Amino acid sequence: MSFWPYYGLQRGITTTAWPDGAEDSAGITPGRPCALQTGHAEEIAAACPTQALKAVSQAGRDGVAVDFSHCIHCQRCRHGDNALPWSTDFSWGAPSAAARPALESRFTRSLQVLYVDAGACGACVNEVRLIDAPPYNLHRLGIFVTATPRDADVLLVAGPITDAMRTAISKAYAAMPEPKRVMGMGTCAIHGGVFGESFACAGGLEKIVPVDLWLPGCPPPPLAIIHGLLSLVGRVTPAALEEQP
Amino acid sequence: MLYIIAYLLFAAGPLLALIPGRRIPALLAWLLMSSACVLAGIQGVMAIAAGQSLPLITLSLPIIGPFTFVQTPLGGLLILITSSVFAVAIPFVTRDANLYTSGRRGLFLAIAMLTLAGMIGFFLAGSIVAFIFCWELAALAIWGLITFETRQSKPVAAGLLTLALSELGSLAGLVSLLLLASAAGTPQLSGIAHAVPEMSPKLLLVAGLLAFFGFGMKAGIIPLNVWLPAAHGTAPRSTSPILSGATLNLGLYAFLRIDAPIALHQPHLGLIILSSGALTALIGIIYALVEKDMKRLLAQSSVENMGIATAGIGAGLTFAAYGHPLLGGASMVAGLYHMINHSTFKTLLFLGAGGIDASTGTHNLDELGGLMKRLPALGSFFLVGAFAIAALPPFNGFVSEWLLLESLLRVVEIPDIPVRITFALSGALLALTSGLALTCFIMLPGSALMGLPRSPQAANAKKAPLSVVLPMGLLALLALLLGLAATLVIPVLSRLAATLLGTNPTASLVPDFFHIPSQVPMAVRHALDPIGASLGAAFLPLRSLVVMHLDQTPAPVVYAMSTLLTFVVLVLMLGSVWILVRVIRQRRVTRNTLWDAGLTRLRPEMTYTATTFAAPVRVVFQGFFHPLIEENEKRHGAFVLTRSYHQVITNISERLVIRPGIRMALYIASRLARMHKGHVNTYASYILVAMVVVLIIVAGAGTR
Amino acid sequence: MSIPKTLQEWLQSIPNLQMQKRSEQWLQLLCSAEQLPALTRHLMEEEEAEFATLLVEESADALSVHYLFYLPATGNLIELKVEAPAGTELPAISDTVHAADWHEREAWDLYGLRFSGHPFLGDFVLHDDDWPEGLDPMRRSFDGKHRPDLHGSGADWAPPRLLQEEGAMVFPVGPVWGDFNESGLWLLETPGEQIRYLHTRLFYKYRGVEKIAEGRTVDQGLLLAERFAGAAAFAHAWAYCQALEQIAACQIPTRAQQLRIVFAELERIRHHAANIAEIAGSTALSVAKALAQGIVEDLLRLSARLCGHRYFFGVLTPGGLREDLDEGKIKLLRQTLPELDQRMQQLEKHLEGSSSFLDRIEEMGTLSNELARIYGVVGPIARASGRSIDLRRHLPYGQYVFLSPDVPVEQEGDGYARLRIFFAESRISVKIILDLLPFMAEGPVQSPCPIQEGHALSWVEAPSGATFHWLRCTGDGTITRLRLGTPGFRNWHAFERAIEGAAFQDFPIILATWGLSIAENDR
Repeated sequence: MSFWPYYGLQRGITTTAWPDGAEDSAGITPGRPCALQTGHAEEIAAACPTQALKAVSQAGRDGVAVDFSHCIHCQRCRHGDNALPWSTDFSWGAPSAAARPALESRFTRSLQVLYVDAGACGACVNEVRLIDAPPYNLHRLGIFVTATPRDADVLLVAGPITDAMRTAISKAYAAMPEPKRVMGMGTCAIHGGVFGESFACAGGLEKIVPVDLWLPGCPPPPLAIIHGLLSLVGRVTPAALEEQP
Repeated sequence: MLYIIAYLLFAAGPLLALIPGRRIPALLAWLLMSSACVLAGIQGVMAIAAGQSLPLITLSLPIIGPFTFVQTPLGGLLILITSSVFAVAIPFVTRDANLYTSGRRGLFLAIAMLTLAGMIGFFLAGSIVAFIFCWELAALAIWGLITFETRQSKPVAAGLLTLALSELGSLAGLVSLLLLASAAGTPQLSGIAHAVPEMSPKLLLVAGLLAFFGFGMKAGIIPLNVWLPAAHGTAPRSTSPILSGATLNLGLYAFLRIDAPIALHQPHLGLIILSSGALTALIGIIYALVEKDMKRLLAQSSVENMGIATAGIGAGLTFAAYGHPLLGGASMVAGLYHMINHSTFKTLLFLGAGGIDASTGTHNLDELGGLMKRLPALGSFFLVGAFAIAALPPFNGFVSEWLLLESLLRVVEIPDIPVRITFALSGALLALTSGLALTCFIMLPGSALMGLPRSPQAANAKKAPLSVVLPMGLLALLALLLGLAATLVIPVLSRLAATLLGTNPTASLVPDFFHIPSQVPMAVRHALDPIGASLGAAFLPLRSLVVMHLDQTPAPVVYAMSTLLTFVVLVLMLGSVWILVRVIRQRRVTRNTLWDAGLTRLRPEMTYTATTFAAPVRVVFQGFFHPLIEENEKRHGAFVLTRSYHQVITNISERLVIRPGIRMALYIASRLARMHKGHVNTYASYILVAMVVVLIIVAGAGTR
Repeated sequence: MSIPKTLQEWLQSIPNLQMQKRSEQWLQLLCSAEQLPALTRHLMEEEEAEFATLLVEESADALSVHYLFYLPATGNLIELKVEAPAGTELPAISDTVHAADWHEREAWDLYGLRFSGHPFLGDFVLHDDDWPEGLDPMRRSFDGKHRPDLHGSGADWAPPRLLQEEGAMVFPVGPVWGDFNESGLWLLETPGEQIRYLHTRLFYKYRGVEKIAEGRTVDQGLLLAERFAGAAAFAHAWAYCQALEQIAACQIPTRAQQLRIVFAELERIRHHAANIAEIAGSTALSVAKALAQGIVEDLLRLSARLCGHRYFFGVLTPGGLREDLDEGKIKLLRQTLPELDQRMQQLEKHLEGSSSFLDRIEEMGTLSNELARIYGVVGPIARASGRSIDLRRHLPYGQYVFLSPDVPVEQEGDGYARLRIFFAESRISVKIILDLLPFMAEGPVQSPCPIQEGHALSWVEAPSGATFHWLRCTGDGTITRLRLGTPGFRNWHAFERAIEGAAFQDFPIILATWGLSIAENDR
């Protein structure tokens, strides 16, 4: 005798109110550094192992700009004397330079996503698996995951684009019907992240297929992934890849 | 008269082929043989049209009795089918005969013609002597066809098996005929049929069963049908269409001719025929599903189709015996219709298999694939044949199988519980058979025509010979027409059934064009029915299969289906979808290669083979197949280098009937061998004992 | 913890064998190629040694190959070092030490070092359809920065086949398959329905971490060690830090050592809970999957609240931890963990009461004890197949020396045994953390860890099993060799044997019960 429906009901509703309401539960996102006006900009930037922080000086004001496409949340600028403030947001999806316009209105409540893993570490895989778990429940937003590019509207690629997955990604993209959008998930997908460009990694999804939306983060938490998907259909305002002080 | 001309032409064709050269003699031989077939076919049509028996010739021979030939409508139908099958198969036969030297070419064609001649003679036989003589003639000719290519040893074994079992069957049939003839006191078949009511029930049952199982062996009826796939699988590829499309009908006709009068007085016989047919059908299709040799698969499916036809005949005889000639007629019509259909689509499919063999050099399904792109015409016709045999509307297989299942349901008219149970079980077996047949005939064209070519031969397939493609086109058209114009065929078959059952069932049926709800008062219905009948009959030549009984007392609705209307609806639906897609949604169509999950390339070895497709069936029927599995593993340390599996599936009839038979024969032989000690004295004493025994018997007989 | 007497005597009886004690625990044997098979056979059969990893280092004109073993009974490390001058072959040991099979194939693909007697060299890490033959990326002469402008056989590539059965086919699963699956290709050899043999073709996610680490600083190396397998980021980062600390002979403050255990065990619970969610999901038990995912999500949030990151990225630093846990966070941990444990146990009880669920994982994907030993599987997979192996006990590191945690063992080796192991280990991990919290030492969580030249082997029992890191660096902090001997690489090797005889529809279920990470294997 199965009581599973009862066990499920016992837990109650755990789904987030976002994007209709606010969501600020602790730990829902790792957060990321914010740009800051500071006199120690050079030191802070030098301490960043991925060159995500840049010392800028605009109109005589010194500060640290953040390039999220390189930030891997190594937390080195979070602690110590020259710590930067860290935000606790997750609205990270940012249009790429070659972004096509958001998908038409008929996709806003029915979007099919194909996920392709191109060398993602377990963290991105785990976060993407959680987007349809009860706390986030992707389906309530009319977004569905499909296993075939024939049905897919969005190609979601994570990882630094390994050599062996190039063919698969371009084939999947070619097999998708128009209109289609591509979303690069995780810092790795943007420039290769810690892996960079090498003999084994292309170091950037853009070298294989045109990309519409970048989702920085290492890994981007589930709500950030949902934010990215919603930006593709114009349901939320996208963020920017860089933040100036 | 026509027969004599036809027979002369039968002989002339092969003679022409003895002339050296390739094109001209073959063409001439083909021309002569084809016209002979046409003549025989015309005579067959005339026999059907005559509607009654016409004695042709009687030769009185001294010891063995009269040699009578009678033209009957049912025989006419069989002659028509046979000569049509030969007519469409002969182009391929003559083409392939060119592969032999000219002497052997003539012999090959002569044997083929002898088969046809023997068969026509058999369908005309009026006395038991003519019956047995022509039967044996045809059996020998068939054996000659199967063993013609004796370069390999397999055909010999298969041919010998055919011959041996055929002789065993003939022997049983002969015993049955002699029993009946001696009880009736006449060697004429019609005389026997008249005398049946006076014979003892026990004798009738024994004779009926002997005739059914004896002659039925030729049609692949259980328990001894293992020879059929073996023989048809190894016969020269051009003769397979003849063997399956034509010669199997011999068995059906033989037991129908003998058993029909008996079964009207012996209801049990009909039930046995029905259930044996249903069981044969199921066993046939199950074995077809595990075959990957196209010819063997088709041969197994012939067993299935013969089973279906037999079940129809059995049901018809049972209904008639229980006093429901109308329902009996419907079932009988279904059985005969299925026989016609089987000859159509099986000839079509075997021609296709032969054509595929001719253009690729293989008939192993696991080595084929992707042929639709290389042989489009042959592939399309082959597909039609597969649809037809899988009983998909609007093709012909659907009509007969649907009629049969529908009439089996009418068993509710018979109050006898055991009869109902037999009908229900047989119906269930046949329904399962239909489902498996569908699987099988998705597998066959799927693995041969679709996907990627799985061998170099399939990848480099040559153009299919016209001598195969054109006849296939003709047969495909026929399969469609027999499906659509079923109502034109049914009355004809119904008249033939009348000669067996004594009443013409469809004469009392009307098209249910003005079928009236049962709330309408009886009086009004009585008045309206004849009007509906005459209107329907007069104005709607291609009316649907919706027919009902004219006479109100039993008033069963017999059939309710219109293949023609289904076809029209199908065409309308597909057409409107096409219009919707093309006209209303004017969208750009993008074509892409197959999505292969991101592989570098989808390889042929990654596509389904016939074996993998049928795997679920193999797993489900594991207990039935009793496969012998040979497993082997080659290792190097902890590495597995190769792993081999070999499955041997032995046919159930071989496992349960033939092998025990052989074991018993060997046992008896070994017992007998003990008598042979090799000493002269021992043999002398045997002779002495035998002489004494003979003397005692003679003396005893003399004193009486 | 000294080398067993019998082994010492046996080794001394062998002529021309140089023995060198690297430490009290670590014995190095310099042997010739001919001696190798006999030595490894003796170690495996007589001493019941466990294979740790195999690594190749390139010197000026030769490749030196290190075969690393450990003795679980005494906690000793045995290193066999063989020099293979350019162009020579080494005898394959994988017919006796089958766990070394994939290691040898890897060394052939990456270094061009041939092992004579190995039947399946090639088309492994570097796929033949993409990568040209004879180009060995781990060699010093190869420039790892760019993709070479050369290609492999392309569409001519044919799948490997070892099944000989009429009409059998190779059913491909992947590389892109299912909803949220990692990329990999599984070639199921089958006559239909039943899987006769499986070829696991991974390394679709090969990122060349060991190659790209060379020439980077040890600090950047930590980022790589953390991020090549995010599901066990802490364990791998810990192993990496241990190697650096070993080279520097750095003493870690007790509090940092204790906190490392807390984080490592938290990661283990989350890893196992995620596996349980996948197992439930593979059998279409969606409520159980949702409940397990709820636990995973709560553990992730707890991690982020404790140390700022959901996957413990950036927490570790050589010499300790980047940040201490204050009283508030320890209190949070003490409050949250028992409740999560409660939910986990509830889930276990419910799952064990669902017979339809158990039917699908019982006797499914069975790895017999014998095969587990031959393939040298590690972690929960080994413990579900009756092998009580856990580095925390048999080769203890850090504070585990004093804890010696319980090691749950199941004998069946099927999917259900693995599920039980996942639950039991999570329970034990919760207990370890809760038992440790009252005894937290006071003091700093970081001590200086100066960069020195040297090399070291370190190990950690990652959630999925034993991981061995070998690090060699120069005095200015440049990595010259980083070897990641991961549990994924060990266990994926044996996966093919658990699939044999299963039906198609069981494949995803068996895959889920193994709970293996491809990222960890591919590196």
